Amino acid sequence: MNGVRRGWFAAVFAGFVFVAACTSSNSSSSAERTTDTSKVVTDSGTLVIGAEQEPACADWISQCAGAVWGIWTMQEHTMPRAFDPVQIDGTWQYLPSILLVDEPTVELDDAGAQRVTYRINPEAVWSDGEPITSDDFAYTWEEIATGDDVFDPTGYDQIKGIDTSDPKTAVVTFEEGQPFGSWKQLFGADYGVFPSHILEGKNRNRQMKDGYDWSGGPWKIESWDRGVAVTLVPNDAYWGTQPQIDKVVFRFIESTAPLFKAFETGEVDAIYPQSEPAAITLIDDGVSGGQSLFTAETGNIEALWMNNARAPLDSVAVRQAIAYSIDRTAIVQRLFGALGVDEPMQTLNPPILSAFADTEAWAEYVPDLARVDALLTGDGWAKGSDGIYAKDGDKLSLTIVTDIGNQRRELTEEILQAQLEEAGIKLVIKNEKPDQFFGQTLYGGEYQLALVANVTTTLEPDLCAIMCSSNIPSEDNDFSGDNFTAANVPEADTLMEIVESSTDETLRASSQKEADRLLAAAQVSLPLDPLPNIAFWSDRIVADISDNPILAMFWNMNTWRLEG
Amino acid sequence: MVNYLTRRVLLAIPVVLVASFLLFVFVRATFDPTARLREGRGGVAAVARERDRLGLDRPIVVQYGDWLGNFVRGDWGESERTRTEVFPTIRRALWFTLQLIFWGVLLAAMVAVAVGVFSAVRQYSALDHSFTALAFIGLALPPFFFGLLAIEFLGVRPKEWFDLSEPIFYSVGLHSVDRSGFNLDYVRHLALPVLTLTVQIIAGWSRYQRAAMLDVMSADYIRTARAKGVPRRRVIWRHGLRNALIPLVTVMALDIGVLFGGVIVTETIFSVPGMGRLFFDALTAGDATMLTAWMVVTALFIVAFNLAADVVYGWLDPRIRLT
Repeated sequence: MNGVRRGWFAAVFAGFVFVAACTSSNSSSSAERTTDTSKVVTDSGTLVIGAEQEPACADWISQCAGAVWGIWTMQEHTMPRAFDPVQIDGTWQYLPSILLVDEPTVELDDAGAQRVTYRINPEAVWSDGEPITSDDFAYTWEEIATGDDVFDPTGYDQIKGIDTSDPKTAVVTFEEGQPFGSWKQLFGADYGVFPSHILEGKNRNRQMKDGYDWSGGPWKIESWDRGVAVTLVPNDAYWGTQPQIDKVVFRFIESTAPLFKAFETGEVDAIYPQSEPAAITLIDDGVSGGQSLFTAETGNIEALWMNNARAPLDSVAVRQAIAYSIDRTAIVQRLFGALGVDEPMQTLNPPILSAFADTEAWAEYVPDLARVDALLTGDGWAKGSDGIYAKDGDKLSLTIVTDIGNQRRELTEEILQAQLEEAGIKLVIKNEKPDQFFGQTLYGGEYQLALVANVTTTLEPDLCAIMCSSNIPSEDNDFSGDNFTAANVPEADTLMEIVESSTDETLRASSQKEADRLLAAAQVSLPLDPLPNIAFWSDRIVADISDNPILAMFWNMNTWRLEG
Repeated sequence: MVNYLTRRVLLAIPVVLVASFLLFVFVRATFDPTARLREGRGGVAAVARERDRLGLDRPIVVQYGDWLGNFVRGDWGESERTRTEVFPTIRRALWFTLQLIFWGVLLAAMVAVAVGVFSAVRQYSALDHSFTALAFIGLALPPFFFGLLAIEFLGVRPKEWFDLSEPIFYSVGLHSVDRSGFNLDYVRHLALPVLTLTVQIIAGWSRYQRAAMLDVMSADYIRTARAKGVPRRRVIWRHGLRNALIPLVTVMALDIGVLFGGVIVTETIFSVPGMGRLFFDALTAGDATMLTAWMVVTALFIVAFNLAADVVYGWLDPRIRLT
């Protein structure tokens, strides 16, 4: 009898194995052999990508659309944009997209009003065949500039009006005396251009929040099954390169370990995870049946952020002493050495904005315990018998906070703790749940040291947002400012305001570089690493895959093909 | 039996009302439904308008009365996080969770009762000791760890060992892309999350069942039945098991109710968009409207399963119906 039972179990298991061996989810209608890879590729099939975050909504103007995976899964594939982020000669810059005929002209009129003229590609149409016109630019501006529930109206709120007399030319005029230096991020970036003939007079949020069936990009949203997947299909009316794959499915797998397992089992063909230790280990071990890429040319900057308004960090000497206590090179090598990334960041600007940064501004901050002692002694601190500095009976003890469960950050904290203790500074680790950390502690200024990344989704310099004193959360800005470190360097403020308002790229770059040096001198916070971007994809995908720090690995998905 | 049932249902109503009121107050005290508007353009004015629309300045009892009236009519409000209607969102998440719980409870009950009865009847046998050891291992395995182990050894590794084009058991969702319905694909998706969900339950329930069965099997009426010549199998299944199920039913009813909100780990690991993940997303986003409805629905299920347990008691032991 037992033998019969074992036989039954073995038969069921063998049946599952047989089914798994025989079934294939891929279909192909036509196939050819590529010349360069010797792979048989198909002009159809379904591509499945693991997405580790689901956007809350697809109304890109609304605050509910803040998740970056919203851009990567839907926005960049369906919304026409004025500029594409492109890397030329090692520098990331905006180039006019296929939506435009050429580079827009920028001029200042006699009254000091900035005017930008966009010439729209005559072939540019929405998925229903209606042409993309200047009315769409005007509608987009009005919705963003005057709406109630807007993610970020910056720049749009400085526009005075848009001339739509020529349907294929949008002339955007800014308020007099308020030029907007980052004008290239308008009508693109997080928003794109919206179809006025579909949305005008309707509740845009209701029309878009759960996805939409129109498109001005290479793909259309076929369905959004909340919690499960977003499915894209080709937009037949797209005037650029037509997608080669029948269907792309972004499956939501919001936990890191299962995301990697899904890639290993082949349930997803590609993943774009955060640079966690598991990802680095997988790259180090080699990806079986797939490929990977990593790059330090990102929009990320992980730093040891310091609350400049909170004692004892309101003292420049203490902040500098901390910087001279830390061996940042050792930290970066420990975290990302396996990827070949072993140099710390020397600016608070992310790598993609290096053209606007002094990339050596923080270079002088290398471990130097003699400088630490001199700085702290000069500030009234004295080393106690326990090796920790103290002043007026209070030990130099600092608390660091980051989001619980982030292995990379927790490892960084442990290294920092050891290094600072050696220098005579006690570090207490007190991590919090992500919602409390990001929702209250960080922007409420309820911390001393914080370990977190600042992520930029634009190629326009925007350090003023987190470093200008006018952006310290206060009544003046309804407590909505993003300067969560309360950094306050008036000379740097002046320079960063020039960066925000000038249309002279050379002046903007030199001003930001000088601001970097001033911020470094005040040691407002300590840059650590660029947080590399990492991607994995299976050999099923036949494509020229590379990373785009704004649009991720999906920027040219319309050119991808599948192995047949 | 009808009187017994009516009594139980009437007693459950005030329990539900008190629970829903307390949950409403707790959520209101903890989360601000207007928080999302604070950072927007015209934040202060927008917050004031929303507070007025939601009636947040009125007494809490009045707010609860309004909320309850809308809730009963199926108007559960709009999620602050996703701007979607709460009722269909919860209904959809509930459907995913119900599937996991239905198959999980079915599997757990069958295995736990079988193991418990066998262990009690063959007390101190080699298999009893083995089941005891396995139960303790099962209890010691947290779902997040067991789930990853299951994916590794029933998904990733067999694919490599047998050089398969697909894993034997899937680890993402309840269906493959473009598939639906009850079929082999569904079973291959369901296997690992159900196993993960039930491994601790089986371990716990089997220990309860063993203890209850041992207790019953030493009772006088069992000895009398054996002395009268009733066959051993009939004594075990008819007289022993039926009475030994009563304490297990209590535990099952409580566990199943709690499961509706407690499947968060399993749903997260296997990317199932059920009640657990919905709760986590709502909690981290401070989505007060969603949280209130979610908690009340979960409370309703806990009350409903306790009610069901009362009914089963009545069926298992007729004396209970008369008290």
